[in-house]
Amino acid sequence: MDGYLVVAASVIVSGVLVGTIYAVVAAGLSLIHGTILMPQASNGQIFLGAGLVLWWLQTQAGWPLWLAVPAVIAAGLALVFSLELLVFRRFYARADRSITYLVVTLGLAQMLSGLYIGAFGRISDTFSVPPPARGYAFIDPTPVSNARLLAFTAAATVLCALIAFLRLHRFGRALRAVFQNRDVARLRGIDIISTYRLALGLGTAVTTVGGMLYAVAFTLDLTVGWTMTLITFSIMIVGGPGSVLGALCVGLVFGFTQAIVSVFADPTIATFAYLLAMLAMLFLRPNGLFSR
Amino acid sequence: MKLRIAILVAALPLLGLFGDPKGLTVFIVGLVLINMLLASGLNLLYGFGGLIPFTFAGISGTSAFICCNLVLHAGWSFWIALPVGCVAASILGLALSFPAIRLRGFYFALSGLVIQSALTIAFIYFPSLTNGDTGITSIPRPTLAGQPIVSPWLEILIATATVLTVTGISALMRSPIGSMLIAIRDDEDLSRALGINVTAVRSLAFLIASLIAGLGGGVYAHYVGFVSPRTFDVLISLNLWLMVAVGGRGTLVGPLLGALILTPLPFIFQQYTWIKDVIYGGAIVVVIMFLPAGLFGLLQRRAS
Repeated sequence: MDGYLVVAASVIVSGVLVGTIYAVVAAGLSLIHGTILMPQASNGQIFLGAGLVLWWLQTQAGWPLWLAVPAVIAAGLALVFSLELLVFRRFYARADRSITYLVVTLGLAQMLSGLYIGAFGRISDTFSVPPPARGYAFIDPTPVSNARLLAFTAAATVLCALIAFLRLHRFGRALRAVFQNRDVARLRGIDIISTYRLALGLGTAVTTVGGMLYAVAFTLDLTVGWTMTLITFSIMIVGGPGSVLGALCVGLVFGFTQAIVSVFADPTIATFAYLLAMLAMLFLRPNGLFSR
Repeated sequence: MKLRIAILVAALPLLGLFGDPKGLTVFIVGLVLINMLLASGLNLLYGFGGLIPFTFAGISGTSAFICCNLVLHAGWSFWIALPVGCVAASILGLALSFPAIRLRGFYFALSGLVIQSALTIAFIYFPSLTNGDTGITSIPRPTLAGQPIVSPWLEILIATATVLTVTGISALMRSPIGSMLIAIRDDEDLSRALGINVTAVRSLAFLIASLIAGLGGGVYAHYVGFVSPRTFDVLISLNLWLMVAVGGRGTLVGPLLGALILTPLPFIFQQYTWIKDVIYGGAIVVVIMFLPAGLFGLLQRRAS
């Protein structure tokens, strides 16, 4: 009987951890798509890139964590804003921009994925960041490593801060106004283009944080960018584009699914379930469960 | 006129056949011709039908796996297995055209991405049919009277199939069905109001395009001799789409031109396979930003 309890507890613990990290990345994607109508297919590669660069800075360049984390966020923002300058801003005014953005960002994703293989593929197949905290904590009856506990706490903090920002801060409320009704938002004097840039920056920053937390809690490999793209797109479509709360709830459900499936079978089968959920949602309610 | 250009472009890679029949050039020529075939099929849906079918590689792969399993394990002849694979692919394609009835534009493309990813996972999780991630190796070449067809002749056979396919698409596009397909692409509501059966015409386009995808997939498997789930993943769909877009969508020559330009590129940087992803990914961005009508469209504009 005790054995079952341990398994159940470890499923709950890892489900919550995986789910919150999914939710962080999906919230970033969802903010971008909800506001700009840009399905950022290279967001998964930015997630992977953040983890890889953190790994490189820590193990190869010997940077301390407090310096490496802001450097990674700054690098992610620099990348995405140079893309905004060169590519994204051309299509802001198009009515059918979603499909254009989907294809362009898929191209960017393929490019980034190739660059990662070229730069990191020769070094190793898997990448694990040295844990920022040692030892284990007992959440009765399963041991959880302190590094994972730290990752979970940080992910939960980021999500809470994001929700608070969107509800309370002036800029956050402007963002929500744009994804609720962009015409009325414009009439009320909100600068749409700056709001787009804010969403892009905020979404990307959140995504890079998610990538670093994943790298701390688990082990990265070079295919995880595509897997994360699929998972976060599913979460976004099921939860509703633009809804952080939706991303959180659906992310947790997906995390638990993944944890439960991993007990019995290969976790990739869980991906199959997410894809079916997304497909069903596309047919039944393309705006998602948590849309206004 | 256009058909003449099409045949000219298709004949161009055949020039490469005057060389060592076992050499790399001849092999690349074969791949160019297969990609021309596949891109022409995709063009029917994207260029003439206005839908981006990200499921194309998966449909092609279904035929490839069925075809080489029938040859390797059931001992069928390639010439009987190939039509079976094609029919299976067109049935699958028709079933997967279902989202097109309800979803438009971005949502259709997204549903295609989802289905394609699910197909790739399915390929990996039926290792009895696909040998999982390792893939199926040493698939025999098509035979004629018991003998495997040797190199220059097999390429010439593929070239014939490609030219026949392009001629078929050309004839289809000059028929009323082709006009209806273009009318639906340009204004769906108006076409419906004019009494065009939108669902039937689109389904027919999917059926024919999937048949071509199946033909290309089966031929690819037996030409290259190796297939794995990754041979038919979402990036392949994306890159076939890229060939159509680079060449010029909605023209007969465009996909041929695109396949001719893009297929040999990775072979220049053989040691660094990742450069292919960087070039193709970059080409997608460039085409979307600067070449909406593709290279053939650019040439046509220069000419006029």
